Amino acid sequence: MRALRNTIFILLAALLPLLGRAQATATAPHLTVQLVVPPAQIFPGQHFTAGLYFKLAPGWHVYWTNAGDSGEPPAIDWNLPAGITAGPMQFPAPQRLPLGPLMDFGYEHQVLFPIPVTVPSSFKPSGPTATLGGKVTWLVCSNVCIPGKATLSVDRPALASPPASPGTIAADQQLIDEFRNTLPQPLPASDQARFLATSKGFTLAVKTGHREQSAEFFPFDSSILSNAAPQPVQPFGDGVKIALTKDQNLNSTPNQLHGVLVLGNRRAYEIHATPGTLVLSAASASSSAMLRIVLLAFLGGIILNLMPCVFPVLFLKGLALVQSSSEERRKIRLHGLVYTLGIVISFWIIVGTLLALRAAGHNFGWGFQFQSPLFLALLALLLFFLGLSLAGQFEIGLSLTSAGSGLAAKQGYTGSFFTGVLAVVVATPCTAPFMGAAIGYALTASAATSIAVFTAVALGLAAPYLLLAFNPAWTRLLPRPGAWMEVLKQAVSIPIFGTVIWLVWVFNQTAAAASLVFLLTAFLLLAIAGWILGRWPAKTPATIAAVLVVTAAVAVPLWAIHTLAPSQVASVQDAVWQPFSPDLVARYRSEGKPVFVDFTASWCLSCQVNERVVLDRPEVQDALKSSGVELIRADWTRHSQVIADTLASLGRDGVPTYALYPANPNDPPHLLPEVLTPGIVIRALDQLKAGDSSAAKSGL
Amino acid sequence: MIRRIALALTFAITLPVFAARVGAPAPTFTGTDSHGSTISLSQYRGKYVVLEWTNKDCPYTRAQYESGNMQALQRKWTAKGVVWLTILSSAPGHQGYMTAAQENAWIQTVHADPTAAILDPDGTIGMAYGAKTTPHMFVINPEGKLIYDGAIDDHPTTDSSAVDKAHNYVTDALTEAMAGRVVATDYTRPYGCSVKYASEGE
Repeated sequence: MRALRNTIFILLAALLPLLGRAQATATAPHLTVQLVVPPAQIFPGQHFTAGLYFKLAPGWHVYWTNAGDSGEPPAIDWNLPAGITAGPMQFPAPQRLPLGPLMDFGYEHQVLFPIPVTVPSSFKPSGPTATLGGKVTWLVCSNVCIPGKATLSVDRPALASPPASPGTIAADQQLIDEFRNTLPQPLPASDQARFLATSKGFTLAVKTGHREQSAEFFPFDSSILSNAAPQPVQPFGDGVKIALTKDQNLNSTPNQLHGVLVLGNRRAYEIHATPGTLVLSAASASSSAMLRIVLLAFLGGIILNLMPCVFPVLFLKGLALVQSSSEERRKIRLHGLVYTLGIVISFWIIVGTLLALRAAGHNFGWGFQFQSPLFLALLALLLFFLGLSLAGQFEIGLSLTSAGSGLAAKQGYTGSFFTGVLAVVVATPCTAPFMGAAIGYALTASAATSIAVFTAVALGLAAPYLLLAFNPAWTRLLPRPGAWMEVLKQAVSIPIFGTVIWLVWVFNQTAAAASLVFLLTAFLLLAIAGWILGRWPAKTPATIAAVLVVTAAVAVPLWAIHTLAPSQVASVQDAVWQPFSPDLVARYRSEGKPVFVDFTASWCLSCQVNERVVLDRPEVQDALKSSGVELIRADWTRHSQVIADTLASLGRDGVPTYALYPANPNDPPHLLPEVLTPGIVIRALDQLKAGDSSAAKSGL
Repeated sequence: MIRRIALALTFAITLPVFAARVGAPAPTFTGTDSHGSTISLSQYRGKYVVLEWTNKDCPYTRAQYESGNMQALQRKWTAKGVVWLTILSSAPGHQGYMTAAQENAWIQTVHADPTAAILDPDGTIGMAYGAKTTPHMFVINPEGKLIYDGAIDDHPTTDSSAVDKAHNYVTDALTEAMAGRVVATDYTRPYGCSVKYASEGE
């Protein structure tokens, strides 16, 4: 009996160490978990990276530090020999785990959480072996969740001093190495991350220097974003922008967005995005977005034909077409193509100049040339001269053919070409609603995109005439030449003179008040030149004289513009609209007053229409006054870098632009459409009131 | 696969739109309780209402019930005139789903004491509130305003013995509101298992 009892005791004693032996791995429902400790020995002054390794059954996952809508990350409660410390568990870049309408963040298949371990130089081994262990807890889920726990430990020989050549456990080291680049890296110093508040949440802009097709942002703070909301990505040539939706209970803009940004090619960065704008260049768009923009641009080009600035030129070409309706079809088609070529090449010159200027760092908007009094004067002179000819004072074709020069009105292919050019020149300031968006987009995009968009506009602009030229059937519909043509020609001079009046009015806003008289003198000189040409047609001395007079006509206003200082911008200042400055806007907002900024220019027809027909209307003025909104007008008739920068920061390129800034400086401005109606303005004011009052209710 | 994405997208789009906001009026709803009666939030105007999303098989919910903590809370606050509604939004075939009879049986078994237990198998009420986890708690004041949305307490655990160590947010919210004070912690990240809404398989 006694012998049996002793045997059992001895057996138990022998087994006891076995039971207490370190278990580095544990198997649990749907996963195995392993404590990974690469060093073969533990000694003083040692630093190494241990790891917690999970291998998961398919369809099951564990969680990231911010688990998302549900779930909990794994944790380890260490049990280490005296003096040895372990740092915090580090989390590899997660993935999005959707679960119906909810979204969690975590890991599938396998994951290793590195943990830095430090053995102090004062470490004294208490025995031949050091046992590093801990209690690991986790939550593993698929569509149901199962909490789990395991106690893991590893034994390693403990040394009193560092060995000559420390060894490593190959298998453990291999695991650590395999998962080394799953950890997010700090964002390189050359890269930047910024965010801006939007009505729905935030736009996160990251500049990495490469084109990024995909990006996902995982915030460390679980209260900032709506986890399930999709994150639409906008690729750029040197970075990416992500639209983030905020948590519905978020009341104020955070002062940073701290989280993990996962990009394509398994790159992940830990970013601290600060508020601010980030200009990302060269968004070479996806082909479908590109196509849509190009189509829109083409449509815009067609519509441009209807604009009062362009229509007279189309008239001219229509006239020429009518006159040549008896010519061969081929010639008509060729005229159409040459006209198109004139338009396309002019657009290319413009976009080329804009791209060059953008490369040089300038920020010009579409229509900027109309801020130059010189340009305005020259264009006015040209059109006036043209109008005189059309009205019947003289025949350009005859005299200038004999003079050997003469461009736009010259018959033949050259005439068609330069009529195309003229059409472009007058079209630019008429930024129709389509055009603004397409051009603004194009100017921020890559050179290839800009050129494609501008070419589409050019083709749209040329399309109607080209259509006529290519459709022989329709040419037959054109009336036979006759006396009516002369009447039509003279009638066309009317809209041309109308355009001249408008140009003179704009010129008056941009140049010195005194230069107006010089411009009008130039018109007189042109009329004299026209009289000479008309009275003595096709006579060389007369032509020379006319050319001299024209030269004088051009020189006079040029000199005036050059020498006379422009007057203060005669902005549309009345008691209602205050002149724009960013500080003024900021000041009013800090006083709790919302601000409405009207970005306008005298050469911008849609701006003038919106102002006369909508903004200056009594009921809209009343609504603006009663809502306590401060009214500011940003007059961009003359170039202003401040206004150009403000427009750029609003994501707009030209005028008209209408921005309603809420009283709360943290809220982003609300941009109204380019075509206003009283309803749109009043609705925006109502939304502003609703936004302010709900903000007040939630205790802001 | 595409259907799944489309469904997820639809939910993703609608969930933020319909989810409740602390400080705003709580979304109204009408539901059927485990005894077949129609319950609507509006009938409790003038009283404090607590909404508790539940799932008897979720380890976190189980810890709250096995420790007796949830039942104690229910009894304590219903005694003070608070309306306590337990809501089950698990879809049929998903974890935690119960028929009315099963729910009544379970309430008896765990000695739960809510004012009513609402069955929401199509998840309408859950989606209206943006209920994400079980347990996810909402507190509504007598004027119908949502004054708390979030976790039941500050210690996420599946261990029933650790529950009583936690600091209870629902108790805080009700105590502060009843004393006429502003609720200090009105929004926390709810912890637990995800609410088992219907989805096209996982």
